[in-house]
Amino acid sequence: MHFDRESFLTAINANIQLTSQRNNSINKIKFPYNDLIVKLENVDTVYEGERIPTLHKVSMQVSKGELIFIVGPNGAGKTTILETICGILPISKGEVMVFGLSVKQEGPDIRKRIGYVIQGLEFEPNEPFLVKDVVMIGRSGLIGLGKRIKEADWEIVRASLQAVGMEDFWSRPIGKLSAGQHQKVMIANALAGEPELLLLDEPFANLDINARQEIYQLLLKLNQEAGVTILCVSHGSDIPKEVNRVVMLRQGKLVLDSNRITAVESKIYRAFVELSASEA
Amino acid sequence: MTQLFLLFANFQLQLIAKVVLGAVLAGMACSLIGVFVVHLKVTSIGFSMSHAAFAGAALGLLINSYINFDPIISATLFAIGVALLLGPISEKTRLNSNVVLGIIFALTLALGFIFLSFLPSGVVSSEAVQILWGSVFGLDTIDFLLLGIINIVIILVLIIFYKEFIATMFNKKVALAAGIRVNFFNFLILFLTALTVSFTLKIVGALLVYALIVNPTSTVYQFAYDTKKIFLFSPLVGIASAVGGVLLSFLVDFPVGSSIIIVSSTIFVISVIFSPKRKRRQKEKSLEFIKRENDEVAIEHLSPETNMGVAKE
Ligand SMILES: Nc1ncnc2c1ncn2[C@@H]1O[C@H](COP(=O)(O)OP(=O)(O)O)[C@@H](O)[C@H]1O
Ligand SMILES: [Mg+2]
Repeated sequence: MHFDRESFLTAINANIQLTSQRNNSINKIKFPYNDLIVKLENVDTVYEGERIPTLHKVSMQVSKGELIFIVGPNGAGKTTILETICGILPISKGEVMVFGLSVKQEGPDIRKRIGYVIQGLEFEPNEPFLVKDVVMIGRSGLIGLGKRIKEADWEIVRASLQAVGMEDFWSRPIGKLSAGQHQKVMIANALAGEPELLLLDEPFANLDINARQEIYQLLLKLNQEAGVTILCVSHGSDIPKEVNRVVMLRQGKLVLDSNRITAVESKIYRAFVELSASEA
Repeated sequence: MTQLFLLFANFQLQLIAKVVLGAVLAGMACSLIGVFVVHLKVTSIGFSMSHAAFAGAALGLLINSYINFDPIISATLFAIGVALLLGPISEKTRLNSNVVLGIIFALTLALGFIFLSFLPSGVVSSEAVQILWGSVFGLDTIDFLLLGIINIVIILVLIIFYKEFIATMFNKKVALAAGIRVNFFNFLILFLTALTVSFTLKIVGALLVYALIVNPTSTVYQFAYDTKKIFLFSPLVGIASAVGGVLLSFLVDFPVGSSIIIVSSTIFVISVIFSPKRKRRQKEKSLEFIKRENDEVAIEHLSPETNMGVAKE
């Protein structure tokens, strides 16, 4: 399944005419890559001021259209691997390629096509940003340096908010929302950039069961209907049946990478589930 | 006699007009820069930069006592030096930049006073007082020109890169993830801050220019939840503070810098008193209190029954 802009906009119910939009800068960005969307090769990531690498010799490949869950105990390096992939964290060894380009060199351009939902962002109550502006930030890179925001951009922001059920909060100050609502707004922020690759760091945290279900269904739709490749970090131990692949990290190393059934039945995964059950 | 008076009045009027214009330009530039400085919580950067500019200006005065030299040049160079130094530091997460800023602040202040102590006494000392405390006199055409240019540059940069600045101000990681070159825009802010501080030095004074940067935005923060409104109202408050300060200094013969800060601080205090944000917080608190009281009442209502229940058993 290939990423397709039209189906993406349909999936989030964006009501805009594609033809009238062709001159938008987003259509100009073309990446020379095949089906390999992410490629990590022997990657070490070292945090500033640390001596021991947090990720060690991690190799992994992600193909277009995959829906991958990344699991592992706290501090395993799940957040670190997401930030390594999108190039927010520099690597000290190895190579990271996304869309066939080196993240080291083309970081900003690559990130324009990635949606990254940061883990548990919190805002001060007086934060002077409105929900719509926060969501627009997720689109600002895509619109292009120094380019003006157009009506169609606002339409996609609106659709993104609607997709997560937050359209009523359009002009509310971000600081006045609950943790779960922040989470949804930040998912809309990632969607507004029409991402080909979606990285989500514990997106279900702070959400109640209904909201979890809704967000999961949305991700599924984006993945299956629009061909968005999804890497989702989840510390929960239940993995939905639609997930193609499970990757497990422990102490910065990749200890499991297989399809869902094999993963769930593996010893190492069951040990992890028992451990998280005993912690809970 | 009357003619002499008229000439004098005319001269006064011209001076006032000139100074008000200077105040408007200084107030606008400082408060626009202040939106970033306050929001990015880098108030200490503005602080250090103004003292670096002071040291530079002092060195400039020293040079000027030998050859003809405009102290604004050296002030600008010093402030940009701090920007160059801070740029890489602000990118690092580990290094505590406040420590570095503290050192810069103390060092530049020390340097400034050393330079001043080498100045030949007499005429020049009034210029030294000017760069420290600000003055409405001795503003040249070039000073107005620089102030005008920096205002135009700030406004243009703001209009062109508005969405990039909003992203940078909101959250570094979110902006990075969106594909914004955050470090470049942070540096641009530092660079514009350096120029603004240096160009407003003469009118506001090195010791207090920092407050004209921070106060207006802090005032508007008491009312606004919308970044756009903060960008619109901060310069208005900044201009009002600067013009009010200049007029006050004419009336009571205070140094301009001090008068501006007195006015802008007064506006800030008033805004805090009438802040809807603060009121809402108090209201929320009192609501919480009422709720808690109600809960306590409810518990009291409950307890006898529970007791009775226990007693029955
Ligand atoms: N900014 C940082 N500096 C140094 N070490 C860090 C930093 N952030 C995370 N770490 C360390 O890296 C390891 C992996 O962290 P992280 O990727 O956040 O784990 P996870 O998301 O799986 O809970 C942890 O041991 C953590 O302490
Ligand atoms: Mg994490």
